[in-house]
Amino acid sequence: MSQRFGFPTLDRSLTVPLVLFAVLLVAAALLSPRLFTATGMGGAIIVAAPLILTTLALTPIVMAGRGSVDLSVGPLMGFVNVTLIGWLSASGYTSPLAVICWVVTVGALYQLLQALIIIYVRVAPIIVTLSSFLVLSGLNLMVMSRPGGVAPEWMMTWGAGTTIVSPVLIIVLAALALWAVMRRTTFYSHLRMTGADERMAYTSGVKVDTVRICAHLLGGVFVGLAALSYTALISSGDPTQGSSYTLQAVTALVLGGANLAGGRGGALGSTLGALNMFLISYLLSAFSFGSVTGFVTQMAFGLILVASLLVNVFMTARRTAF
Amino acid sequence: MTNDVAVSMTAVAKSFGETKALKKCEFVARAGEVHAIVGENGSGKSTMAKIMSGVIAADTGSVLILGKSITSPVDAKEVGLATIFQEVLVADEASVLDNLFVGSEDLFSLRKLSRERESVAQSLLDRLVGKPVDLRQNVGDLPLSIKQWIVIARAVLRKPKVLILDESSAALDLDATVRLYEEIDRLRSEGCAVIIVTHRIAELVRIADRATILRDGFTVGVLEKFEITEANLLRMMTPQDRQISAAASTSAAGLPGDRKEALSVHGARPQEASQPFDFVLPQGSIVGVAGLDGQGQDAFVRLVARIISPFGGEVRILNRERTGLVKVSTLDDAANKGIVYVSGDRKREGIFPQQSIFENLAIGIYQKNLGPFGVIRRKKLKQTFAREVERLRVKIGHPDNRITSLSGGNQQKVLIGRAFANDPKVIVLNDPARGVDLNTKRDLYRELRLFVEGGGSVIYLSSEIEEFLGFADRVDVFHKGSIHRSLDGPDINEETILAAMFGRSVADTMEFSKERKAH
Repeated sequence: MSQRFGFPTLDRSLTVPLVLFAVLLVAAALLSPRLFTATGMGGAIIVAAPLILTTLALTPIVMAGRGSVDLSVGPLMGFVNVTLIGWLSASGYTSPLAVICWVVTVGALYQLLQALIIIYVRVAPIIVTLSSFLVLSGLNLMVMSRPGGVAPEWMMTWGAGTTIVSPVLIIVLAALALWAVMRRTTFYSHLRMTGADERMAYTSGVKVDTVRICAHLLGGVFVGLAALSYTALISSGDPTQGSSYTLQAVTALVLGGANLAGGRGGALGSTLGALNMFLISYLLSAFSFGSVTGFVTQMAFGLILVASLLVNVFMTARRTAF
Repeated sequence: MTNDVAVSMTAVAKSFGETKALKKCEFVARAGEVHAIVGENGSGKSTMAKIMSGVIAADTGSVLILGKSITSPVDAKEVGLATIFQEVLVADEASVLDNLFVGSEDLFSLRKLSRERESVAQSLLDRLVGKPVDLRQNVGDLPLSIKQWIVIARAVLRKPKVLILDESSAALDLDATVRLYEEIDRLRSEGCAVIIVTHRIAELVRIADRATILRDGFTVGVLEKFEITEANLLRMMTPQDRQISAAASTSAAGLPGDRKEALSVHGARPQEASQPFDFVLPQGSIVGVAGLDGQGQDAFVRLVARIISPFGGEVRILNRERTGLVKVSTLDDAANKGIVYVSGDRKREGIFPQQSIFENLAIGIYQKNLGPFGVIRRKKLKQTFAREVERLRVKIGHPDNRITSLSGGNQQKVLIGRAFANDPKVIVLNDPARGVDLNTKRDLYRELRLFVEGGGSVIYLSSEIEEFLGFADRVDVFHKGSIHRSLDGPDINEETILAAMFGRSVADTMEFSKERKAH
């Protein structure tokens, strides 16, 4: 293939997120140049990482098609976070190895369970993941009824964000590297084919069930990494905040040019989408909206999402015009 | 020809809910032969192909492919069986290359699309399509005929020992069909068993070594090459009670000059490159539309039905009072003024696969059957439904079954029923006989002829020249985006239409025929 490692050929769906990214960067440079200092950048990476990683987690699952937007990624990230703090750390297992194994395994196992239900019980994915969302949201509160606990000692400095190169940045880069490797396997093309037209893939001898399971497993690994960066960000456990990441991640995914119907999407687009989300809220915080900042940010997300979809629609319409 | 058995089916039966698609089916195909499976709509041909491919499992009976029984397309791939399905199954979002090699590698290998494999794919596809194709292009941007070639190339690239073609030439034009046969010949000489499921009897006579005939879920016989004639096939395919003489086809009345215009198009420009032209549809006539693939005829019929609004063209239709022509602006307007459009691309432009047979037929006439408070009058609709089903001889189970429980031909009949139920004045048909057998075609021709005798008018696009013979009153042949020649009377014959399709002039026709024969 013409794609070189780490530098996939740009497809057209990336145009809008790239342009938006450039515009937002310029705006940030003008309005709040603090972002371009080492501490500004370092802090930005720490804050943006959980969203980037949850969006990455959604990506393979959405790409596998059948409209399977995984609504559970947010609470699942929260679940990994509270169990890490409330169970693992509280029981004295705090070594980096144990923590990393825990987050990745819990994320992957949960996604495996979801995939098996979707495939073998034949329930619509959206129902399964919606149930997951509700179950996990409750479960998180049972594990930890209010925010609390402390992250392992060695993690406490991760959230400082005073330098650009930080452990959190390394986690994000590791995730992107994992994606880049995955992209070079047959699994990636099978994933896209399954998402684009499941019947075609099935009749061509693609093991669509296995592909779907693997997509969820990969998503689970990313959720685990997201939980790790989230724990680093808040240095504690929080049973409720994780849930808010679901809708943000879906928004970021669409902003990044992925097709919610499956078949189209990628790490680059998802990362861009998440970064755009971060930059929007960053820019808005530069203005002083007082106590309504939260509402204004959400409204801005919504409006920009609609606007970018409209631009996409126009571009597609022009391409396919007779 | 060797005598190695490649595929054998013994006493196979399969039901979908109430509908018994296959009742008792026997089939043997040998290595190195081209074996045709023939039957009319709903006789179970496609079901047979799907069972052989492992897509669906037989209820009873045994199926052996090269001595092994298979339960999924993955198994089929492993024993060396490749199937080209009736639907053009491609992923629009992916490149040609990805579409060609989908499923050809194991899940966890690093991608190893070597230059060598790529060049094999390139030369095969170029040969099949007849012109170079960019392998990195998105499939979604390509025309239907090239998509069809991609599906065929995908199967051939696997170097299959058994190849099944389920109505695969439906989207190809004549010239392309010849290239397909060359490929089939090559595979046969390499010892591949090629199984063709088709309705094009003319093709069969030329290409099949043997033919198995299906009727109503039973295999009714196997013909050797010398026995495969149109008469034999028809006799075996048709149930005894319906064996009417082959000449039951309708006769075209020709066109008296004093007919009123039912519809006219002024300054039509279906493609960007088209020279604007005018088109007139006389009332009470059937006008055929022909052309090689991509010459603008497809865009033209869509333009008439206002499905698309292309580069130019004003459509006018006779008003309800039949006093003068009125302009048709939008699709909605076209429907109100009595233009209906029936497509042969059932999957994309026809059926609602999630809905019942009843809903699929009645969907267009809900508006006209509203009672108090906008409640739909089911009773009246049921009468209409029963009438259309009866008239078109649609083979259905329960009306509430999904439309997808029907065979392709019966689905098409439901769509035509939907068109008739709308009480149209002009019916625009876009290759409606694609993937449909002879008896369905006859039912269709008869109904259309009755329709024009009742004062309606028909525009009929077809990719098969034979369809026009003895049926169309006039045939407009497209070349390079506009009408190249308008043929009527004795000019409606295969040679002249074919010559016109290749852009030949009147004088050239004789010469063209000679060239073809020499070829």
